[in-house]
Amino acid sequence: MRLLLTLSLTLMLIGLTWALAVAPTEAIQGPPQRIMYLHVPAVITAYAALAVVCVASVLFLWRRDPRWDRLALAAAELAVLFITMTLVTGALWGRPVWGTWWTWDARLTTTLILWFIYVGYLVVRAWAPGERGARAAAVIGVIGILDVPLIHWSAILLRTLHPQPTVFRPEGPALPVSMLIPLAINAAAFLTLFLTLLTLRVRQERTLTRLVEILEGGA
Amino acid sequence: MSQVLLLVAKDLRLEWRSREIVISMGLVALLLVVVLAAARAEASLTPAAMWVTYAFGAAVGFARMFATERDPLTAVLLAPVDRSSIYAAKVVANWLAIAVVQVASLPLFGALFTEAVWTHLPALTLPLLLGGLSLAVVGTLFSALIVQTRLRDALLPLLMLPVILPALIAAMGATTGILEGQPLAAVAVHLRLLAAFDMLFAAAGMLLFEVLISE
Repeated sequence: MRLLLTLSLTLMLIGLTWALAVAPTEAIQGPPQRIMYLHVPAVITAYAALAVVCVASVLFLWRRDPRWDRLALAAAELAVLFITMTLVTGALWGRPVWGTWWTWDARLTTTLILWFIYVGYLVVRAWAPGERGARAAAVIGVIGILDVPLIHWSAILLRTLHPQPTVFRPEGPALPVSMLIPLAINAAAFLTLFLTLLTLRVRQERTLTRLVEILEGGA
Repeated sequence: MSQVLLLVAKDLRLEWRSREIVISMGLVALLLVVVLAAARAEASLTPAAMWVTYAFGAAVGFARMFATERDPLTAVLLAPVDRSSIYAAKVVANWLAIAVVQVASLPLFGALFTEAVWTHLPALTLPLLLGGLSLAVVGTLFSALIVQTRLRDALLPLLMLPVILPALIAAMGATTGILEGQPLAAVAVHLRLLAAFDMLFAAAGMLLFEVLISE
């Protein structure tokens, strides 16, 4: 735990310094391009968190072991956190580079809708405590992931209905090594931070469960 | 299959006695049509107005569908039928409720927005039915999830609307094409998405509903 925390903070420090000071400035986009060093790691971590939610939800529905439920809850909270970071950094980058805060591109739309679905997940957890709420949340956790390909598909249809003035360049050739290294370090930093927070949150929930058990047992 | 029909007949009989769901859903839908038309009634906005109306009508009505069971779920779970039949029957009942709202609001859409709604009615039934089913398969599962939670009625739209968004986009796309007089083949891509959505969530709904309510 302490090791993970130290590791993620060290990586974060190195990665951010590298991204801000050492990596070359992109020729066309200029300084805003450096947002990528936060944006891409955030989105990778967000999708990793969603994968954890989905797997843990399926296992919980199957095995009914509260440990999986605690894992799904912790991962869902972090998924919402990292999706929020993705959306905010993306908008901040889009304004100077695309000339707009938001556009109905397939990837953007999918990420936004996922944010709504998993905020809904957290609302259910808050309003429906206990076993029934946990089961309801697990079903939403699975449904949310099932919806991803359909949202992506529909957003592509949406774009053909409303052509966008902005030219979407495909992500282009692989990044030069001078940019790839800080990006990889940051991605590793975000993922270890995610693991740290996940462990912390799962432990917290476990302690809470035990506390409730002890209190109920004593009464 | 006969189990499903039996359960649907039970739901329809209950609904016929109170008319609670169709009246609340229908009135909300009609009000929405009028409000949207008052805001702006252009032919090009008709598909959006239609599907916003149906989605909110569904979100209002579906929350009640399980709540009409006295002591929600317990009674119907005691019935000697498959759990998946219960889900299928509720989907059919909700689908019928949406269809009633769709039929009831068509005269208004024709009068306030565009008469193309009436002239293209045969082709329009396809997205109306497929999109109505999308609302029903997702809405039924979610209303079963939250039937015993606090603030049930506020929670359903919150959960349901983001998940059905792809189906709404496809349904609006198909409706737009049909109202512009395009042949069905031109909107096939939208209808395929709707059909895929319906199949995926009908299967997922059936599986998850069983897991959800088993004790």
